[in-house]
Amino acid sequence: MLKFILRRTLLMIPQIILVSILVFMLAKAMPGDALTGAFQGNPDANPEQIEKIREKMGLNDPWYQQYGRWLGNAVQGDFGQSYVHKQPVTHLLAGKIENTLLLSFFTLIITYLIAIPLGIIAGRWTDTWADKIIVTYTYFAFATPIFVFALLMMFFFSFILDWLPYSGSVDIKIETGTWDYFVSRARHLALPVLSGALISTVTTIQYLRNDMIDQKLKDFVKTARAKGVPERKVYTRHILRNSLLPIAAFLGYEITGLIGGSVFIETIYSYPGLGYLFIQSIQTRDFTVVTSLVLISATATIVGTMLSDIILSIVDPRIRIE
Amino acid sequence: MAKKQFLLLASLLLVLSVFLAACTGKDDKKTGDKEPAKGKDEGTEQTEGDEEADASDELDFPLDVSNKAEPMEDGELTVGLVSDTPFEGTLSSVFYNGAPDAEIMKYFNESLLAYDGDFLITSEGAAEYILSDDKKTITLKIRDGVNWHDGEPVKASDLLYSYEIIGHPDYKGSRYTFMLENVEGMAEYHAGTTKEISGIKVSEDDKEISITYKTASPSVMSGIWAAPTPRHYVGDITKGDVTMEELESSDKFRVNPIGFGPYKVAKIVPGESVLYERNDDYWRGKPALKSIVQKVVNPIAVIEALKKGDIDMASIPVDQYDKAKELDNVELLADIENSYTYIGFKLGKWDEEKKENVMDPNAKLADKRVRQAMWYAMDNATIGKELYHGLRYPATTLIIPTFASFHNASIAAPSYDPEKAKALLDEAGYKDVDGDGFREDPEGNKFELSFASMSGSETSEPIAKFYIQNWEDVGIKVQLTDGRLHEFNSFYDMVENDDPKVDIYQGAWRTGVDPDPAGLYGRTSFNNFSRFTSEKNDELLEKGTSEDAFDAEYRKDIYNQWQEMMVDEVPVAPTVYRYYIMAVNKRVVNYSIDNSSDLWMYQMGVSE
Repeated sequence: MLKFILRRTLLMIPQIILVSILVFMLAKAMPGDALTGAFQGNPDANPEQIEKIREKMGLNDPWYQQYGRWLGNAVQGDFGQSYVHKQPVTHLLAGKIENTLLLSFFTLIITYLIAIPLGIIAGRWTDTWADKIIVTYTYFAFATPIFVFALLMMFFFSFILDWLPYSGSVDIKIETGTWDYFVSRARHLALPVLSGALISTVTTIQYLRNDMIDQKLKDFVKTARAKGVPERKVYTRHILRNSLLPIAAFLGYEITGLIGGSVFIETIYSYPGLGYLFIQSIQTRDFTVVTSLVLISATATIVGTMLSDIILSIVDPRIRIE
Repeated sequence: MAKKQFLLLASLLLVLSVFLAACTGKDDKKTGDKEPAKGKDEGTEQTEGDEEADASDELDFPLDVSNKAEPMEDGELTVGLVSDTPFEGTLSSVFYNGAPDAEIMKYFNESLLAYDGDFLITSEGAAEYILSDDKKTITLKIRDGVNWHDGEPVKASDLLYSYEIIGHPDYKGSRYTFMLENVEGMAEYHAGTTKEISGIKVSEDDKEISITYKTASPSVMSGIWAAPTPRHYVGDITKGDVTMEELESSDKFRVNPIGFGPYKVAKIVPGESVLYERNDDYWRGKPALKSIVQKVVNPIAVIEALKKGDIDMASIPVDQYDKAKELDNVELLADIENSYTYIGFKLGKWDEEKKENVMDPNAKLADKRVRQAMWYAMDNATIGKELYHGLRYPATTLIIPTFASFHNASIAAPSYDPEKAKALLDEAGYKDVDGDGFREDPEGNKFELSFASMSGSETSEPIAKFYIQNWEDVGIKVQLTDGRLHEFNSFYDMVENDDPKVDIYQGAWRTGVDPDPAGLYGRTSFNNFSRFTSEKNDELLEKGTSEDAFDAEYRKDIYNQWQEMMVDEVPVAPTVYRYYIMAVNKRVVNYSIDNSSDLWMYQMGVSE
């Protein structure tokens, strides 16, 4: 097992380097750079000055030279300076990552808290009214675009019922660190998390339901029943254990999504996180931020995949890797 | 960086003009423009052309709030910062990029000079100015009792510090302008050959600063940089206390910035909200409000947030204007933005060697009659009415109505008239020879134009298609470059570099506060994307900023001639001017979006 993890970790290094080269090339291939259109808001700006800045920032060099410089600094933990935000990228990301992690983490927890019980109910009591309601809900959730749903939630809970705040991550008037502060953060998180979670339950519910229905017809279940195993035990010990396998395997991938966050949710609820930063940085060609973010999410994906494999080998002895 | 601002602007369709808010001393309210729907000055602006008359009739908005009650003691106000992005929070007049940051700075930071309705400096701000007889030297004298929020007096050397930062060889922002370069000794300082800017002198008591320019230009009256930077607080780059990178990324601009404005920053939640407290030490007097909260509100939530009273004021995105009209707890104020949209005709190339624009006599659109015809063919009134709820209306000249003293309202600019367009094309020899419904050029060759237009808003595509249809109606075949709209960066990449795929393009400019058009239409201006040049143009632009032009009448006459010339030559055809709308809760008092208003920000309050 340890050997497996070690091997996978070593393999990650060339993978990440490859990804970073690709990203860098693609980023440079986009038309324009951080200074394109710089005159739009400032027609009096001196074009020679702009050209000088380009030269100074090395934007005129070929991409491989820029890449070399960037890589050299990156291995020392310096991801460069964001042109748009005028601060070191590491500092910039550190300021946003907390919000995004909180949002994604709770969204993930709530998603599972909703999806697993619902999936089990639908799978165990197939074709009952409960199952039909759950399936209908998944159809709706699947069909509803997240930005529409988030808007509806906002309209209903913030503006009609006036229960929850509609923007930001905390009420600025409350002193940082107090109990009220945590309550305020939780209240601000509630809508974004719920909007995200209620929509993203679909896959998990459907997976679980279908798998349980599948398992029910398997021979080992028939055998268990024939041996007189109580129905409750048949489900918990035999069916559920198998049906949860794909869900567990999926967990690793879900962690990948933690970093990316949801652009839509962040935007609609004016919740400053990494998701929006990413889009914004692409639009403004803030290359240092774009490459760093892509690199982070590439790393997260690779780690996530590895985690999935590890989880799977723990829960499923049949495929344990020697 | 300005691009970001522009993106914002493009995507929100509103948010505006704010650009120079930070350096606009008269920071009461919205920067903006003056000379509006209900013009105070002479109101002549309303008379541009007949076809938009009904559009502007509907728009009889006030500039001041109607609630004339006394502000209550210790009121609190919540301001919506309408944006679908978090603000960047670089709260420094020399370093900031985005319009939202400027919106934040105006509450706690101000310029040393105040500005009047024409964006010209006045002595009503924290400093008085005196212009020397040869008009080359301007002296600013800072009043007593003007203190930074940490109690230190605002010094002349703090203003010098802004110049030292912007001119610094390591400075990477876009504020190093021609105006700054015109300061004596600035070029040398910028090149790194001198340590001091020879043209800027600070008095012994550090209260007076005199700035000498290489050439006298009336642009100094609106373009002088007068926003100081607290040297003692942020660290001195000239002494090597900090490097440029440390300075621009300093928390002293982000976490606890200081200024000398009416409100102090008490707390910032990065990207989403700012809490201000009253600055009891404010030099004009005690600010009316105890505190202000400013928070980012997504454009889709603005109307509901206003209705609920959750925010007291916010700018209204054009597409929500109809819904805003129905709110009964808010009042709508409107004014003309400092910007215009235009169609540009590519007439030449930028000569990188000589650093100047060179016209190509063989350009497809070299015949000005064709350009005029294309202007006549565009139905801008319909665009303004149908796609912008009447918040945009046909533009006439390149000096916009917000420059009340310079805008030529009586000019006979082309307005929608397809018959006239056809006549002009016939006269120019562009006729449909092969009977395919489109005109050929005088030699009988196919005449097809490629039109670059930006994507980014819901109206981008309908507008581009509408113009193409307009031109088709008079027999000109126009196609979108590459058959589609282009995203911001690709668009400017093509337009700035004179890509041969672009014959005409749709762009927009924010004009800043100086009426001088040389930055956009001069022979040596890279921003002159149409690449139009002429001797007369050179001459008029030069005269417009000459020493004689300190005389307002003379300058007005020159700019009238220039506007007439541009309407005749049509290197670009301005399409629409824009209104912006500010929604204000009825409990707000002492608030105006009128630049010539006597109200200052510290007086703004709430009545209940």
